[in-house]
Amino acid sequence: MNRSRRIHLRPALRTLSGVLLGLCIASGHARADALGDIKQRGKLICGTQSTSVPYAYQDAQTRTFVGYDVDICAAIAKGLGVPLEHKPLSTEARIPELKTGRVDMVAGSMAYLPERAEQVDFSLQYLQGAIRVLVKEKSGIKTLAGLEGHKVCASKGSSSAAIASRVLKKSKVLMLQDVASCYLGLQDDKVDGFTAGELVLKRFEVESQTSGDRTIVLGEPTFVERMGVVVNKGNPELLAAVNNALLELDKSGGLDAIYDKWLGAGSVYKLTRAFKVEPVNLQ
Amino acid sequence: MEFQLSFLTGGDVPSLLLSGLVTTVRLFFGAWILGFVVALTLVGLRTIPFAPLTMLVTVFVAYHRNVPTVVQIMVWYFGMPSVLPEPVRLWVNRSDTEFVFALVALGLNVSAYMSEDIRSGLRAIPHTQLEAARSIGLSAFAALRYVTLPQAIRIGLPPLINRTLILFKDTSLAMAIGVAELTYQVKAIENLTFRSFEVFTASTLLYLAASLSLMGIGAWFAKHYPPPYRS
Repeated sequence: MNRSRRIHLRPALRTLSGVLLGLCIASGHARADALGDIKQRGKLICGTQSTSVPYAYQDAQTRTFVGYDVDICAAIAKGLGVPLEHKPLSTEARIPELKTGRVDMVAGSMAYLPERAEQVDFSLQYLQGAIRVLVKEKSGIKTLAGLEGHKVCASKGSSSAAIASRVLKKSKVLMLQDVASCYLGLQDDKVDGFTAGELVLKRFEVESQTSGDRTIVLGEPTFVERMGVVVNKGNPELLAAVNNALLELDKSGGLDAIYDKWLGAGSVYKLTRAFKVEPVNLQ
Repeated sequence: MEFQLSFLTGGDVPSLLLSGLVTTVRLFFGAWILGFVVALTLVGLRTIPFAPLTMLVTVFVAYHRNVPTVVQIMVWYFGMPSVLPEPVRLWVNRSDTEFVFALVALGLNVSAYMSEDIRSGLRAIPHTQLEAARSIGLSAFAALRYVTLPQAIRIGLPPLINRTLILFKDTSLAMAIGVAELTYQVKAIENLTFRSFEVFTASTLLYLAASLSLMGIGAWFAKHYPPPYRS
């Protein structure tokens, strides 16, 4: 019985090594001339997140994907002079989709981190976001230092989570499935703080005025995220073209218009744009 | 950009992977032991000829087999504490609840399947054995404990090993409530480094190595505790 099992394992191992080899080839497949490919194909395939309000999400009425990132994709396609094919992606799939060449670029409101920049190239900054912490008003916590020894929730796989474990060293960072679970955790006193992007927190702050315990966003950010469009490494022409399109968009006032529509005066957030189109790694 | 596994040995990565693996293994063993004990209890309860009790066991098994496992974990984590009185709830919520609730949910889930596996083993034993055991003066419990159950577990070993392997992989569902097991740490590393292929390959190999070890233990067990007869 043992012997027959051993014999059956061998083809399985061979299949596995074949799969691994396939992965090596797929990930090592650098696109020599991505910009040329886009022009030749006659369209830009640009990926975004798929359930991320107001960056990229499905509009309830029209069932089409809309948002800040989708508009940025459209603006880049216009800058490159080709039509856009928009592709909504899940968080786990965004980098594999890019590396296997199924999308040309990802505008996924992805923040610059040095480790990430070893794997992909970031364009100029097209958006900035602050990561903050939401607490219950009655908890009396006013500063980040006040979170010492408390549990802080972050959504799994988010950069808020990665940053929280660096900045809030004296707090216990708990990661849950999504932001809704974190908010539920805060309301249930499972955690004392909830860290995420300021927009997410702002929405929950507004919600807490009408139901549940009142919550407030702490003024001190844990981090300021500098976001860029992400492309595969080794494509300087494509990166330059994207940067150019972003600079043109900024100059023409198009970026201000997009910002106002999704985050500024035209939105529920009423934020004021305070970032420039500049390299993401300037600190 | 090329595929390199070497980054797995640098920085925080090995310690994150190791802590994830340790949590996965602890969760697995805890849930398995809880599951096996509850499964034996369920099998015992089922042999008692009292209709409401049998009904209760049937409902327990039906719930745990028909509701998605991840939902069961969520129910334990979000539902159970809210039925507790306020002070107890605050105390429970402040301790390391994620791990405990995931362990309980996975353990009860697997117990339902294991009890059915053992029950199918029981059904393979000729009824005359039980009659013989009772006629030499063994109580119903003693007959189950010394005569039928040991044989039933041996007969039901292949499905029990099956279920054990599935439980090992199901531990990754505990990530949904924030238990930092292996898959959770893998996603955290992926998010930080964007090295998706490498890190998912590493986790595949770790899960594979663990599953093969479990299969090895199962094969050893099957060899040393063979079924009483082959059908």
